[in-house]
Amino acid sequence: MAADTVSVPFDVYRFQPGKDARPRYQRYTLDLAPHTPILTGLLQIRDEIDPTLGLRYSCRSAICGSCAMQINSKSRLACETQVGPELERHGRIVVEPMRNQPVLRDLVVDQSPFWREYNKIEPHLKLDPRRPMPAGQPTAMTPAQVERFKETPRCIACAACYSACPAAEVDPEFPGPMALAKLYRFVVDPRDTAHQERLVRIQPNGLWLCLRCHLCTEACPKDVRPSERIRDLKEMAIAVQGATELGSRHAVGFKENLKGAGQINEMKLVRATFGLTGMVGQIGQGIRVWRKKPEIMKKPRKIEGMDELDKIYAALDPPAKEEP
Amino acid sequence: MKIAYYPGCLAQESAKELDMATRWVCRTLGIELVEFPNFSCCGSGFIDEANEVLNIAINARNLAIAEKAGLDMLTICSTCQGMLNLAKVRIQDPTVKSRVDAALKPLGIEYKGTVQVKHLLTVLTQDIGLPAVKAKVRRPLQGMKVGAFYGCHLLRPADEMHSESAEEPHSFEDLLAAVGATPVDYRGRVMCCGFPVLFVKPKTANTIAGRQILDAKAHGADAMATPCPLCHTSLDAYQNKAAKQVDARLDMPVFHLPQVVALAFGATPEELGLSRHLVRTDAAIAKVQPSGSA
Repeated sequence: MAADTVSVPFDVYRFQPGKDARPRYQRYTLDLAPHTPILTGLLQIRDEIDPTLGLRYSCRSAICGSCAMQINSKSRLACETQVGPELERHGRIVVEPMRNQPVLRDLVVDQSPFWREYNKIEPHLKLDPRRPMPAGQPTAMTPAQVERFKETPRCIACAACYSACPAAEVDPEFPGPMALAKLYRFVVDPRDTAHQERLVRIQPNGLWLCLRCHLCTEACPKDVRPSERIRDLKEMAIAVQGATELGSRHAVGFKENLKGAGQINEMKLVRATFGLTGMVGQIGQGIRVWRKKPEIMKKPRKIEGMDELDKIYAALDPPAKEEP
Repeated sequence: MKIAYYPGCLAQESAKELDMATRWVCRTLGIELVEFPNFSCCGSGFIDEANEVLNIAINARNLAIAEKAGLDMLTICSTCQGMLNLAKVRIQDPTVKSRVDAALKPLGIEYKGTVQVKHLLTVLTQDIGLPAVKAKVRRPLQGMKVGAFYGCHLLRPADEMHSESAEEPHSFEDLLAAVGATPVDYRGRVMCCGFPVLFVKPKTANTIAGRQILDAKAHGADAMATPCPLCHTSLDAYQNKAAKQVDARLDMPVFHLPQVVALAFGATPEELGLSRHLVRTDAAIAKVQPSGSA
């Protein structure tokens, strides 16, 4: 072993659909300096040990977004993840393809689900044809308008967020973090004229399926913070359409719920979300839980200083004006 | 130590057993819980979706109550911890701060930003310290394999939560080991429990919960433990639904974090309200080998 190198065991996911009955993990051991990027290790495996290893990469500089994969169960760019810290924590480096997208071969996935959702949000400016942008001249934005873009344009479409997303894993209808962050980018663009339409269209089977688990924000190599922009979209969607979806009804219902006692009234919340008739479907499970936890039917204790809370609501959440 | 106790809504209602166990643990370790009947709900992440600034103001009021008393806050719920802490972070934005201040000042409430919010997990592992926890163990949970389940808002976003590594935390496992249990390593421990869409799309929520339980089970867990009563609802109260979605028998006992610690401190299942769980916990407790036999 050369000086300053360590022995690094890689357990690499290998699978050729149609040829292999099931995936397997192949062990390759390399002597590498601790600061070596995992991508460098994988390329060394491919060049020196096993030319059949399938992987996708290009720039090696965390710009192109091609080499996203699962490294010790985390969604990461292989080019900017070093072997040293992974080895220290796990004693080995388990490399797997991204999740939530079908495997084509080894570490290469079919990204069509990811791009399909991206295309669905119509990721292009929708301008007002009556007010064309002045040819050859810049359109000015205020610093406050620009501030709202500070994160989303950094996205390199690597799909690390999509790979990390538990909603995308379970729900093929969920657009995924990247598509929603991109949608936000157009919704807040002052040149775009389809804000309302975009916010209305994304709600059924879209926006409200986000679990706000922040796994996407953690996975993102460019700090785009999709989960926080999805939160912004939710508030904007309620402002545009009111509480019309189960998700928005639950959020608004929760907000209204505190007005009585300052603490959550579980029964009242169920009613606000589902409506009286919708509650019928909840009865079976409700009784099951109630038998062990009778408090779910009880009114909560009213907090002291409820008047303060009422005044905070009056100041920051005034009742919405009726539609004309 | 003396700390402002922020139990959150569920521990006062349907998750009363969490409050019982917290008091047991704190009594044993000499943590004095100061109660404030004026604390309100943290908004549970839902008010944040509907009105961000309102949510910050509600929590700034909670923070100011403890701050005025010169105490840090103790939470026993990952979501309460997340929401209170997020309010501390987001109020640093001058636009947000001026709106929140304008609502609070007329009420004579001032939030200065000096109060710290700590989850029980942090208090036990950092403030009290594992040696002091260990010293109170009367019945080490030897032989019980436990999968820690952290809950999203305790960990993420890591830069805002100032949490330990969001993807590879270890404090909960360290605590479990300190009370004699064997922590189980599995991917699901840092994943989502599905709770936020339990009402919106139950099928999704239950499937997500079921997968994490299956993962813990596949790695040999006799039980799971969580620092969040919302995760507990998903994993325990709705486990029957989760089992249906993943088409498997789960039978996974799920403890609240302080229940595991209190069990090791010598509390009885009755004192910890274990009979209130939807999934029976006795099989997991039966795994504990009597001291000296291992």
